Amino acid sequence: MKQALQKIMSLLPAVCTAIVLLFLLVIVWDLFSKGLPVISFHFVFDYPSDGMTKGGILPAIIGTFLLTMIATIFSVPFGIACAVYLSEYAQNTIPTRLIRASIRNLAGIPSIIYGLFGLALFVQSLRFGTSLVSAGLTLGLLSLPYIITTTEEALKRVPFSLREGTLAVGATQLETIKDVVIPSAMPGILTGVVLTLSRAAGETAPILFTGVAFYTSGLPGSLKQEFMALPYHLYMLSTQHQAIEQVRPLAYGTAVILILLVFVMNLIAFFIRYKYRQNE
Amino acid sequence: MRSAIFLFYLLLMACRNTQIIEIKGSDTEVNVAARLAEDFYKTNATYNISVSGGGSGLGIASLVNGETDIANSSRPMTTDEIALMKKRKIDCDTFAFAEDAVAFIVSSNFPMDSLTVEQLANILSGKLLNWSLLTGKNMTINIYGRQSNSGTYEFVKNKLGIKYTNRAKEMNGNAQIIEGIKADKSGIGYVGAGYVMKENAPSGLGVKVLKIASSANAKAISPLDEEAIAQRRYFFQRPLYQFIKRESVNKVQPFIAYEQSPRGLAIIKASGYYPVPK
Amino acid sequence: MKIKLREKFDFVFKQLFRTTGFLTIAILAGIFLMLFYNTIAFFLHFKPFDFITGTQWSPTNDSSARFGILPLLISTCFVTIGAMFFAIPLGIGTAAYISEYSSKTTQNILKPAVEVLASVPSVAIGFLGIVVIGPFIAKIFGLQNGLNALNGSVLLAMMSLPTIVTVAEDAIHAVPQTFREASYAMGANRWQTLMKVTLPAAGPGLIAAVMLGVGRAIGETMTVLMATGNAAAFPRGFLDSIRTITATIAIEMGEVPFQTTHYFALFAVAALLFLITLAVNIIGESLANRLRRFNVS
Repeated sequence: MKQALQKIMSLLPAVCTAIVLLFLLVIVWDLFSKGLPVISFHFVFDYPSDGMTKGGILPAIIGTFLLTMIATIFSVPFGIACAVYLSEYAQNTIPTRLIRASIRNLAGIPSIIYGLFGLALFVQSLRFGTSLVSAGLTLGLLSLPYIITTTEEALKRVPFSLREGTLAVGATQLETIKDVVIPSAMPGILTGVVLTLSRAAGETAPILFTGVAFYTSGLPGSLKQEFMALPYHLYMLSTQHQAIEQVRPLAYGTAVILILLVFVMNLIAFFIRYKYRQNE
Repeated sequence: MRSAIFLFYLLLMACRNTQIIEIKGSDTEVNVAARLAEDFYKTNATYNISVSGGGSGLGIASLVNGETDIANSSRPMTTDEIALMKKRKIDCDTFAFAEDAVAFIVSSNFPMDSLTVEQLANILSGKLLNWSLLTGKNMTINIYGRQSNSGTYEFVKNKLGIKYTNRAKEMNGNAQIIEGIKADKSGIGYVGAGYVMKENAPSGLGVKVLKIASSANAKAISPLDEEAIAQRRYFFQRPLYQFIKRESVNKVQPFIAYEQSPRGLAIIKASGYYPVPK
Repeated sequence: MKIKLREKFDFVFKQLFRTTGFLTIAILAGIFLMLFYNTIAFFLHFKPFDFITGTQWSPTNDSSARFGILPLLISTCFVTIGAMFFAIPLGIGTAAYISEYSSKTTQNILKPAVEVLASVPSVAIGFLGIVVIGPFIAKIFGLQNGLNALNGSVLLAMMSLPTIVTVAEDAIHAVPQTFREASYAMGANRWQTLMKVTLPAAGPGLIAAVMLGVGRAIGETMTVLMATGNAAAFPRGFLDSIRTITATIAIEMGEVPFQTTHYFALFAVAALLFLITLAVNIIGESLANRLRRFNVS
């Protein structure tokens, strides 16, 4: 009897896993089955029309793309520089530990607080107003801790002997880092960057008050303008729009495009990581 | 490669000579503002108009913070807001571009067709918690309302002279309220009449629009009654405002002119608003 | 290049790199200052005691405003506890399966699958709550409307599961094989070993996993904004509509003019959120670190 009970109980972990996979399946199945039919060349490349009940979502796609680019330009150099400092130069002193603690804490801060910070700093204090640049920089700040952490891990994996060898032939530390360490760690760095940015592309809370708009006519003409973005477009179509039942298919289509974008970026990152591990 | 494309785009962006108009505010007005912007762009491609919702409060707050050209608002400014604008030395022009009626909706098989203002006040303030006194059915009243940044929220509250019960749900927008009511036999909510007008198609609305009587003896009037609105006889009707930053008046002039053109007025009408009564 | 020039570059860049390091501290300090500066401005107008114990949140900019955060706090707790009710057993169970029961090939499917779940944006999960989970809940419970705490809990569970699974799986994997072997040698089977030896040994790591999952759930904004109905009253049950701290900030932030009491109040709420997530994450991190030290031995 006890044996039988034990046998049943030992199925529990498998059941848990099955339920988790079921969640994933429900998400993918429901969204893709109702969203894929909506996607067409026109959906991706047309502007919304007729009060956004018809047409495409091009401005939202471009908006998300531009946001991600701005976030990248800001956070990648900054992040790699900081990771280089932590990995190559810093001693285990109190300031260094303070820096590491800051990074860990920044990683845990909810995204809406980044949104508030972006509002206070970029929109109000620096007077950038609600704009692509405010929102892009806010997303950059959000991504920074993750880029620093993954880059540092990638740098740590470069064998110390490589650095010693380069220094032994007379290179300065900077040259060692620039010409040997970073190139070796590049696949790992790229993986981290792409994964982090794929997360930033899907964020809504930080852009709510820093520049996303319900509707813009045309494409953004300058960085100081408001913009449309995929995550907010999905939020808007499912809660704010005048005819949410009518636009439900469009919402599904937007959800699928957003998820596809994130999936593709993740796949690219996995691919880079896979090739990297092969070479090690 | 990707960076090359991006830099090229940036260069393109730097060269364009677009005029930017920012419109923020009322969720009641956001859909019609988006349609107007879309149509305006067809004939004025040098203007890039961005429209955001968030509530009348947000629109006026943005104006006060100097962050928008036009603030859409479904309510007049409060004395506090006017004082704040004076303090910040921000001037604005006021323009009423349409008249709106707030409709009270219930599920389509709700047993009553009309309510008095007093009954509404009791329901929304929480004095009345159950439908049994009014309809005989024992159902808890479920209120679907807006959030505190909504001009519609403020308008209904002030007209009824009450404070909302905090059991009232605060939905993200008119559309969510309609969706909620459709599925809820015991629900009552308020939306802009425009939202229920468009859906008044033969295919079925899913919600019922209540007639409102200003007192027990008065005639109950429907928000869908054009004549009554033109004669200002519906209790919950109000003008929809656009507050324009004084410095932006010249820049937005073409858009305002467009709003009053036949094409603009047709869109406003098609979105379920009434022209401003004389 | 001459050696002197190269050495100069070396020095300059070292300082540059150093500066970026300290800039991260500056960013954290900036966020901290922004929150607390505005919170203090709030407490000049409104008593902190009333803020913490007040039972009504009805913000306006006149004297009738009530800024009690208890309803928001209780709502957040409700939905987080509900989420953990689903996520903890499912998460640890899945982690146990991946670590103890599954083959290498299965692992190579499951681990990426969990990462895929982690990468779904929060707005898409919220959308799912509106179109699938909400109506489902409404049908099961005979409700009119599925936008309530239960919906929020299920969705938040989905979002924090990947964190819990990953950290818990690390913890379980790190338990030395000798523990398991000793248990088998005494005649225990796989399930008994798991429940009485492996999981207890992975204890700190499992708690870390849960804490990190909780941190994720508390800080989530879009999902709860879309799927929980947003009524700022005390929830009396899981089928009630609720409004969390994050949703309140998101809904009300855009409406407030600069430097008004309501504006400061929202920063005070955000400061509270910051402190809560900070505390949860610090506890989680320190437990996870203890796990790593354990692993090295």
